[in-house]
Amino acid sequence: MFRYALRRALWAIPTLIGVSLVVFLMTTLLPDPLAPYPTGGTSASSIDPSTFDKLTEERRSRFLDLPRFVNTDPRDVRILTDEYVGHIVADDDDATVSSRRLAALGGAALPHLLPRFDNLPAAGRKRVALALVPVARRMRRFDEGAFETEGDATLFWSRFWDDHSIDFTEPAAKRAVDRLVEHGGEEREQDLYLLDTFALPYLMAAMQRTDRRDALAQLARVAAHATDRDGSIPDDAQASTVRARQADWGAWWFVHEGDFVPFTGAERVAASVSQTRYAKWMLGAILGQLTSGSGEDLSLGDRLKRRGLLTLSLTFLAMLLSYGLAVPLGVISAYRKNRPVDRALAFGLFVIYALPSFVLGEICVNVFGLGHAAFFAVLTLAAGSVATLSRFQRAAVLEVLGSDYVRAARAKGVYGVRLLVVHALRNALMPMVTLAGVQIPTLIGGAFVVEEVFSLRGMGWETLRAIERHDSAWIVVAVLVTALLATFTLLASDVVHGLLDPRVRETLRRRGA
Amino acid sequence: MKPERAVPGTLRRALSEVRRQRGASLGITAFATLLLVAIFADFLASPLPIYGAVRGHTYVLANVTRPPELQSMAHGELEQELSRGFALRALVRWGPAETSDAVLRPPLSASGHVLGTDSDGRDVLAVLAHGARVVVSFALLCVALLVAFGALVGALGGFFGGVFDAIVARSVETMTAFPTIVLVLAFQAMMPKASTLTLLLAISLTRWAEVARLVRAEVIAVSGQDYVLAARALGASPLRILVRYVFPNARAQALVSATFALATVILVEASCDFLGLGIEESSPTWGHLMAQARHHPAAWWLLAFPALALLGTVVSQNVVGEALRDALDPRGHAAAERPVDEAPGQGTASPSP
Repeated sequence: MFRYALRRALWAIPTLIGVSLVVFLMTTLLPDPLAPYPTGGTSASSIDPSTFDKLTEERRSRFLDLPRFVNTDPRDVRILTDEYVGHIVADDDDATVSSRRLAALGGAALPHLLPRFDNLPAAGRKRVALALVPVARRMRRFDEGAFETEGDATLFWSRFWDDHSIDFTEPAAKRAVDRLVEHGGEEREQDLYLLDTFALPYLMAAMQRTDRRDALAQLARVAAHATDRDGSIPDDAQASTVRARQADWGAWWFVHEGDFVPFTGAERVAASVSQTRYAKWMLGAILGQLTSGSGEDLSLGDRLKRRGLLTLSLTFLAMLLSYGLAVPLGVISAYRKNRPVDRALAFGLFVIYALPSFVLGEICVNVFGLGHAAFFAVLTLAAGSVATLSRFQRAAVLEVLGSDYVRAARAKGVYGVRLLVVHALRNALMPMVTLAGVQIPTLIGGAFVVEEVFSLRGMGWETLRAIERHDSAWIVVAVLVTALLATFTLLASDVVHGLLDPRVRETLRRRGA
Repeated sequence: MKPERAVPGTLRRALSEVRRQRGASLGITAFATLLLVAIFADFLASPLPIYGAVRGHTYVLANVTRPPELQSMAHGELEQELSRGFALRALVRWGPAETSDAVLRPPLSASGHVLGTDSDGRDVLAVLAHGARVVVSFALLCVALLVAFGALVGALGGFFGGVFDAIVARSVETMTAFPTIVLVLAFQAMMPKASTLTLLLAISLTRWAEVARLVRAEVIAVSGQDYVLAARALGASPLRILVRYVFPNARAQALVSATFALATVILVEASCDFLGLGIEESSPTWGHLMAQARHHPAAWWLLAFPALALLGTVVSQNVVGEALRDALDPRGHAAAERPVDEAPGQGTASPSP
């Protein structure tokens, strides 16, 4: 029994991968924000730097800078640092952009740069030292006097590493962050300013661990300081805003981790798969971190919880209602096969089936003025399902009635309602269990329309608003969540069907599935 | 005893059987009417004359050819010109895109709009007739696309089996997991430039799986039949078996799915129009009329007439589809079971207590 369920669950994995692939390919339909600008390499001649940075950031948040499925050249902080320093030393076309980017890498780049700083050619060393001036400024180590000549800057960075290399190690950084979380305070914040972006991995980990508001605010302040991002958490922020900011930092880190952390050992090998658009997107979807830059006050998770609950209950109630109506109706139709009752039911249900749910909804809302009665929303949603399900129930009952064991029961002298309900219906309910799995996608799709008609603020309503304001993150999540839900209900209904009907397990075993 | 499985020629027999059924033949008639309306929409509703003289120039079939000099004329001016001499006019003297000041007139009002006007003063009957053209051509194209793709994939998967079939089966399951309307809406929203064409592609992409599933099951069933085995024993190549024995059966199944798919596509398209993400606003469709009804609750005719048109269309297609399916299903030919409420020993059926 358990093995059957497990085997069926394993079969759902390729389906889930398929679902994710479809949605992923759908996201690639979205236009590339940099597409209108012809850019060569890192130099952006046709647009001004700030726009370019903004668009690059938008691109990165959608992982467009990564290859789709295989990354033959995954880049981490070490490789990036080498590349930028190379450009700066060579003083080529990309030198200006590289200087800016090296400064953005900040403290995290230092362990890969400063130990071999003295080996750089003298002229190049000077340029690199100057490029790092903004970093020194961020670290609050910027002393105007110390940077009067270019030589001073070089000297500053050589000395800096002599003095501070001990701070730029994992244990030291971790300890500094832990101290900040535990005790807070101005000096501990200052300590972390020194580490600059080098502390980010530990800051981010701490941020996901703690939910103390004061600690979060402080961590966010340090992180915002090091990255020049606006991600601070105001003191009077509501709990939902705090969560939204927390999620925003998580999403940002998910995109930018490679800028600040070197891949070592196995990570290097895994990076060729994990540092791809699909893997990043998929992992982000699983971890719920696809919100970066959506600019919403609520985190995606909160919005999903709020909207999804209504849609789920709507769907669930409609499901209950449609089964509650369809089973008796189907049985009556089968019982009175080809009699007036059956004909009338068939006709009535057919009309209901053929009317799209929005027409039924509009009739409820506009003609009868029932726009605020949630019950009618459920009824509207269930109507189509009732029609489909009762037809299936009728066919199932009729099929069972033709079987040998029913004939045996007849021979025993059973007839009428008893034959129908006690003997036939038990088995005739079996196919209805499988149908439940198929009905869910239909009902969810219907709910999207019905919510709009009845102005219920569920996922469908939210999705249509998201379409209006081009919020692709929500659209993607809505599609993904509904498809996952449908896959799981299909799985559940199959398993239940297998539990109830031994023949199904037998077939599956023979097929070797 | 198993009834003979479908062999070439079954389709024709099934079709004639369907034609004999009363409900189904009504459905076929209804659908044929819709097709005629779609084809001859210009004769049902057009401001331009079928035959008539304007400014000394006689026009023949101007409603179809739409000469620019007539189209640029104001409605009143054209009416005046045409009233001077003999003119053969379309049933409704308004075009589907023709707006006027007579907004939201109820049906049979003095203005001459038989089914009333919408919120832009367009004649509802004209929009319905031309909407039929848009809806039918859209649905036929869409269904042709998705049935061709679905049937091909399903037939090949079912016939060749193995890894290819596994991929087909998984893809079908994947696509059925998505609620159609949600996926179509998302596609429309994600497209850089949503249009009728993208809607067509989105619906085809979402709905082919259903066809593929049915055709695949049919092909698997056929491939296990004795006559296929016999053909193989006689040395027929896989290609010959596929073309000679499998495709004819798949064709019947594909036809049934196509009939049902037509109804589904029309419903989905109408829903998309209703939600404002369907066919462009400039094209007249039933869905657009119904979308207007949202903002004008009192104008019942904006909802009722397109809904009736939609109802008739979907019902007729489903009736035909069901009749066709029953005619092709060998189980359907089995003798009718005894009524449930027939007590043992009773000769005739009588209601049970």
